[in-house]
Amino acid sequence: MAAVKAIKSKDKHIQQLAAIVGGGRSILYQKEDLLAYDCDGFTIHKHLPKAVVFPKDTQEVAALVKYCHEHDLPFLARGAGTGLSGGAIPLNEEVIISMVRMKRLLSVDMENRRAVVEPGFVNLKLTNSISDKGYYYAPDPSSQYCCTIGGNVAENAGGAHCLKYGVTTNHILGLEVVMPNGDIIEIGKDGVADEPGYDLLGLITGSEGTLGIVTKIVVRILKNPEAKQTVLAYFDKVSDGSQAVSDIISSGIVPAALEMMDKTAIEGVEAAAFPVGHPKDIDAVLLIEVDGISAGIDEQIDEILKVCRNRNVREVKVAQDEAERGRWWANRKTGFGAMGAISPDYLVQDGVIPRSKLPVVLDRINQISNESGLRIANIFHAGDGNLHPLVLFDARVPGEIEKALEAGSACLKVCADVGGTITGEHGVGIEKREEMRFVFTEEEIAAQTDVREVFNPKNLLNAGKLFPSPGRCVEVKKEMKASVTS
Amino acid sequence: MSLREMDLNQDPACATQSLSNYLPKDHPDENKWADCVHCGMCLESCPTYEITGQEQHSPRGRVHLIKSVAEGKLELNQFFSEPVFACLDCRACTTACPADVDVGGLIEEARGQVRQAIPLTGWQGAVSKLFLKGIFPKQTRLNKLGGLLKFYQKSGMQTAVRKTGLIKIMPDHLVEMESIMPEIKQPVREKYKNQTVIPAKGETKQEVAFLTGCIMDVMFSDINEATINVLTRNGNEVTIPKNQGCCGALHVHAGDRDTGRKLAKQNIEAFKDADKVIVNAAGCGCMLKEYPELFPDEPEWHEKAEEFSKKVEDISKHLHDTGYEKPKAEINKRITYHDACHLAHGQGIRQEPRDILLDIPGVEMVHMPNSDRCCGSAGIYNITNPEMAGAVLENKMANVPDDVEMISMGNPGCMLQMAIGVQKYGRNQQIVHTVQLLDWAYQKEDGKGDL
Repeated sequence: MAAVKAIKSKDKHIQQLAAIVGGGRSILYQKEDLLAYDCDGFTIHKHLPKAVVFPKDTQEVAALVKYCHEHDLPFLARGAGTGLSGGAIPLNEEVIISMVRMKRLLSVDMENRRAVVEPGFVNLKLTNSISDKGYYYAPDPSSQYCCTIGGNVAENAGGAHCLKYGVTTNHILGLEVVMPNGDIIEIGKDGVADEPGYDLLGLITGSEGTLGIVTKIVVRILKNPEAKQTVLAYFDKVSDGSQAVSDIISSGIVPAALEMMDKTAIEGVEAAAFPVGHPKDIDAVLLIEVDGISAGIDEQIDEILKVCRNRNVREVKVAQDEAERGRWWANRKTGFGAMGAISPDYLVQDGVIPRSKLPVVLDRINQISNESGLRIANIFHAGDGNLHPLVLFDARVPGEIEKALEAGSACLKVCADVGGTITGEHGVGIEKREEMRFVFTEEEIAAQTDVREVFNPKNLLNAGKLFPSPGRCVEVKKEMKASVTS
Repeated sequence: MSLREMDLNQDPACATQSLSNYLPKDHPDENKWADCVHCGMCLESCPTYEITGQEQHSPRGRVHLIKSVAEGKLELNQFFSEPVFACLDCRACTTACPADVDVGGLIEEARGQVRQAIPLTGWQGAVSKLFLKGIFPKQTRLNKLGGLLKFYQKSGMQTAVRKTGLIKIMPDHLVEMESIMPEIKQPVREKYKNQTVIPAKGETKQEVAFLTGCIMDVMFSDINEATINVLTRNGNEVTIPKNQGCCGALHVHAGDRDTGRKLAKQNIEAFKDADKVIVNAAGCGCMLKEYPELFPDEPEWHEKAEEFSKKVEDISKHLHDTGYEKPKAEINKRITYHDACHLAHGQGIRQEPRDILLDIPGVEMVHMPNSDRCCGSAGIYNITNPEMAGAVLENKMANVPDDVEMISMGNPGCMLQMAIGVQKYGRNQQIVHTVQLLDWAYQKEDGKGDL
């Protein structure tokens, strides 16, 4: 342990936590210093943590967790804080364990196509570190420039290219986890996938920081595709655009990415920092990418162009070079932040729907927008039916936060009603916990909190996330137990 | 209790909850922070976040705090002052931001508020007053300081200080500065004090006015000389307006917006007859272009500033846009290019200086990874925040390719800082201004110079 630098707090917990991480700049505890940690990428609810600590290795994380466990201090882990469902917001005055200083790339094993990273390692840096050798890390959330792989594991993050390559869980081969009592465990043997027994990797990945704190991650890396082509297509009608999406998939092509933006979203990205000149009067733009071995790529592109033309595309073009492709993707991937250019605040939803229901769902969302008086932009991973309605509002106007929350919830209800679900990749966090009831019965929710109890019996780790407020669940459980015993 | 009720039941971080804790005069522009949706795309672009990993030292964290003061959650105290002044003002976040949030502008406005609320006292206050109010705004005093430095170098005092161990009692970062101080020569403003118009060589294609800068003219008058040579050689008649002064960037960075405004007015007046104002220091150019920001409450000056800022052009952009003679002599050097923050992020000028270098026969350009990452100079940041500046410099130097002979750039502050880096990390690159290289190529072509 490093020499502990003096701190001013008289709080004995703060002093002890400081001692674990060496004090000085490895802990924040004064209220003013904690302000910047009162929310993550989800800004509607703001709560101050008790402290923020910056451990440098697994041992320090374990010691911090053990201390919190023994002294009944609520705690949670935080990466870059770019989450969109509030998973890192300290609702219960938690001690935030920030993982950002554990940001090393520990090893790369080209032969077995895997890499080992610390949780604070930034997603895109992995690809950047191995691209010269012809490899990359596939999951590419739009925030990949700055989000951490640890956070990606917690949220089971997706991304534009997950249509073909799968989400984070499909790329995790092993984890080192600090359990909520401070024990350190390893899951996955030397990066060999699919160990016998229960799929604990699958359980931990996407558990939103409620089952343990990941301190080391073995990820799968992929060989760069031999070839890649990207198409941009403009449609006058959303229905034509979404039909084109269905047609592309039914033609047997599995695009690497198939993205859609609607009119309001286009207005946002064009007003922001990375415009590419989309026409303002179109209803939908599709961004389609195919990749793989060179042979056959051109045929796939021809087929895609044909499909688009059959669906009355106004204009369709293929990226002429890497620079153009890069501009198109920068425009799309900064889409959420770009909303700042047309609105002071936004709330992004994350519904999943059957692709065929898109025109209906967009109509209903449009209705919700009209009723609430708030504009809603739609950015859509069209290929896998993952819809992101962005509710635009101004938190300074009294009552708009509540309206935005209602509108967001109504959008999710629509998704659930057409046979979809309430989150594809952003997680439930605190944002969608009540909406869990749209898709799960009380019993199903209780079954899941039972699982949590096995790992996190004191519920000190990231409490209040992922599941609806416990009151009703507890009652249900009591009833269930009663019914079993009787 | 619902989540919203929980949110509203909290105490603010500070005891006082009034509507805004800003002072009435010149407060940060609400519309600037309203653009920020807290997405975090700026995080990795920020050198101070890279080093600390702490939100309050990140762009969105600072914007969050600036907003918190307006919401009455935070007071204008040291907890606000520290993160706001630890910002390098490098503007990398404005390049990264999807919503074009003007973080740099917000930071400068916030610093103005901090300095109104907590004036610097004691040693810091005295030094700041001496330099920012006593020396930089007054050309004659600046020249005298230059003269003193020159005397220090020529009189043997420098040798004496270094040999006697007197240097050991100076703070480390000042020792570093002293050791890389370029040889002080005659400032061009003195040289041309009786000749304010320097004719073009050959046919006059356009008339331009030249801002000589203060540090540039004292520390690097040879670069100013090179700039004049390059301009006149390419058909520019160069005027050096007499009443021009320091651009005020250092003052505005330090939160002294009143002096910044005074200097801005002085320069707007001094250059009122010019069609184009040529600048060879990225930091100055950026400041001149941002003069309108200084006059939110003075519409008349705001308009004048708008007009003025349109005339301002970096030398590399000017040469690129108006054309220049490609040198014929070869300079056989391996060169890497460092993007000064206030050129790349501040003015969007990236390719033009590189094109100039590539036009010099014999030059071999070597790519520098993260070339637009701050070097830690950041005006006088390396003097006010030596520890952070040192850490930023260390990261920068790690990106400088091993086998290059020169590092080219377009800003005097960077040149001093990179020279410190070269010395501190045992490297041997020569630090040059892009225009200097072009001038050397011309000189060589004319049979002068020794490159």
